[in-house]
Amino acid sequence: MVKKFKGKTWVVGDDIDTDQIFHGQYLPLTDPKEMAKHAMEFVPGMEDFIKKVKPGDIVIAGKNFGCGSSREHAVVCLQENGVSCVMADSFARIFYRNAVNLGFPLMECPGISKIVKTGDKVEVNLETGEVTNLSTKKKLKGQPPSGLELEIAKKGGLLNYLKG
Amino acid sequence: MKIPRKEELLKLQAKYRTDKRIGEALGGVPEYLVAYWRRKKNIGRYSLPKYSKEQIKDLWERYGNDTKAGAELGISKSGFYKWRKLYNLLEKPKALKFQQLEFSLAGQTGLSKSAGIPVNQSSRKSTIAQKLLAKKAGKAEILVGEIVNVEPDLAMSHDNAGLVIKQFKQIGQSQVWNPHRIVIPLDHRAPAESEKTATAHKSIRGFVREQKIKNFYDIKEGICHQVVIEKAHILPGELAVGTDSHTTSYGCLGALSTGIGATEMAALWATGRIWLKVPDSINIIIQGKMPKGVYAKDVILYIIGQLTVEGASYKSVEYYGETVTKMSVSERFTLCNLSMEMGAKFAVVPFDRIARKYLFSITRQKYEPIFSDRDAVFEKEYEFDVSNLEPQVACPHNVDNVKPISEVKGIKVDQVVLGSCTNGRLDDLKVAAKILKGKKIHPEIRMLILPATRTIYLQAMKKGYLKTFLDAGAVILNPGCGPCLGAHEGILAAGERCLATTNRNFKGRMGSPESFVYLASPAVAATTAIKGEIADPREFVK
Repeated sequence: MVKKFKGKTWVVGDDIDTDQIFHGQYLPLTDPKEMAKHAMEFVPGMEDFIKKVKPGDIVIAGKNFGCGSSREHAVVCLQENGVSCVMADSFARIFYRNAVNLGFPLMECPGISKIVKTGDKVEVNLETGEVTNLSTKKKLKGQPPSGLELEIAKKGGLLNYLKG
Repeated sequence: MKIPRKEELLKLQAKYRTDKRIGEALGGVPEYLVAYWRRKKNIGRYSLPKYSKEQIKDLWERYGNDTKAGAELGISKSGFYKWRKLYNLLEKPKALKFQQLEFSLAGQTGLSKSAGIPVNQSSRKSTIAQKLLAKKAGKAEILVGEIVNVEPDLAMSHDNAGLVIKQFKQIGQSQVWNPHRIVIPLDHRAPAESEKTATAHKSIRGFVREQKIKNFYDIKEGICHQVVIEKAHILPGELAVGTDSHTTSYGCLGALSTGIGATEMAALWATGRIWLKVPDSINIIIQGKMPKGVYAKDVILYIIGQLTVEGASYKSVEYYGETVTKMSVSERFTLCNLSMEMGAKFAVVPFDRIARKYLFSITRQKYEPIFSDRDAVFEKEYEFDVSNLEPQVACPHNVDNVKPISEVKGIKVDQVVLGSCTNGRLDDLKVAAKILKGKKIHPEIRMLILPATRTIYLQAMKKGYLKTFLDAGAVILNPGCGPCLGAHEGILAAGERCLATTNRNFKGRMGSPESFVYLASPAVAATTAIKGEIADPREFVK
């Protein structure tokens, strides 16, 4: 399990729902590479996300990120684009579960959306929960995964966890 | 036509059981003729036993326990024992089938024996969520925040079963944990709107045949959540998970249910276990008589407006109060269904007389309801009085952007949708039919109506609602999710506005990201369809 991430950020607002992250019309897709092409398509201001996102980038969101549908595509499409980690003031329940079960690093970090702007460089330590905005030198502490979540994260997702 | 030979007839009987269904399978041979052939060939009406040896053996190997195995067939402990004796299955199976792949939590060894442990009466201060999860985990008491590893009573998937199957195959296990507890209705894109969907549906049909999942409902049946309730796949005091966020709906019968993702569903299919965190509970008390023209949909929209879209995030919501106790199961369904839109993990209306009466009309299965303790600890308590409530409308692009009808009336719309798991039941259609009777839909409005299930479609036909709708100029679509999630059957163009009785008004939900969706009750939908703009239904509801 990778514990430290450093990357350029993409900041989105509050209550970003799963239809904005991955619209319902693409649900029949089962190939992750196909899903990746539609990531964040309907998020206001993120029209160039798919074109410009680079492996290692970090997505930062306001409160209630990923609310709405139970679709896993919303996690997979970010994962496939090489997004290394998502941090938000808070997450919607099913999005959070899906990310944990798919082995996608994420951390709840209240206040994060206030200290980061799109394009800033951020460093995250998922073990201690420390977040540093390298562009402004502002620091914050989030809630790193623990217990079962950490166990699953270590194995890289629920399926690998089951296989032992 | 050729009269089948004795062996052929026996084979048909094994497959179809009744004379009527054998006749249908032979292409419309009347029942009496099949009976006549049978008598001629000296074959009894039920020459074959009700349950095959394979079936009994399979259940016995899964459970090794008469009570649990019998419960799957809806027969008693001694009933199952008789069948087992008949087939000479007297020894206990050495290893239980569903334990092939053990799913144990860190620091927790072995599987807990979930079923059959009574709820500890002495454990006090527990909410429904705590008590039910404790029962499932085989513990006397559990605390909020604890993670438990439980076997749910129902695992529901819809069209996304295609994705679940893909993940399940990755695990490399040949059999699902328990085909009797898996329910798959196809509803999201039914019938298939594209080749990709058709391929997914085909793979699901193949899989359910191969795994002997009998509770599979093909595109004809309707919306998954309503099908689960109508076919009594969930009962009070049970735990359900589904790969759909609106799975919270089953709280209308006093069950706990919640949405999960496809990967964890695959893991559940393989292991029979899922991890759940015990949530905090909030208590919502609704008082007062709903005024004329105000419905459960208005009440819950109002509550979401007050509590916001994350007001119940990760929480279990319990509904109380005189308004709730008087609501029908269908209205409670609307409450629990939309509770998801404020982030709720579970939403439940405690089991009572009304739920019992409804259940009695559909099933004779036994169940064990669970209630919160009198002194249960709730994180928060809210009280609402609805006696002066106006009809409510959730405006674009968030479900908590709720305004009273007086503030939004007059907004022109292009399309009206009546249906979905939230408001597509017979009482919803009845409200709309009463308003539309003898009237014409505004010429610039397209009104789409989707009864939630085939059963409701048939009932609406009998009651004459469908004729009222057609006379008024509405389009009646097949039961299913239809345009609710923007997949097909009524996509919006840029700049168009739609008033719908569905559950989400997210940006672009029903089509173009430049379109607008307003959510309201069936009464507002019908009135709006007549007027061509968002209108107050109270002038039509006498």
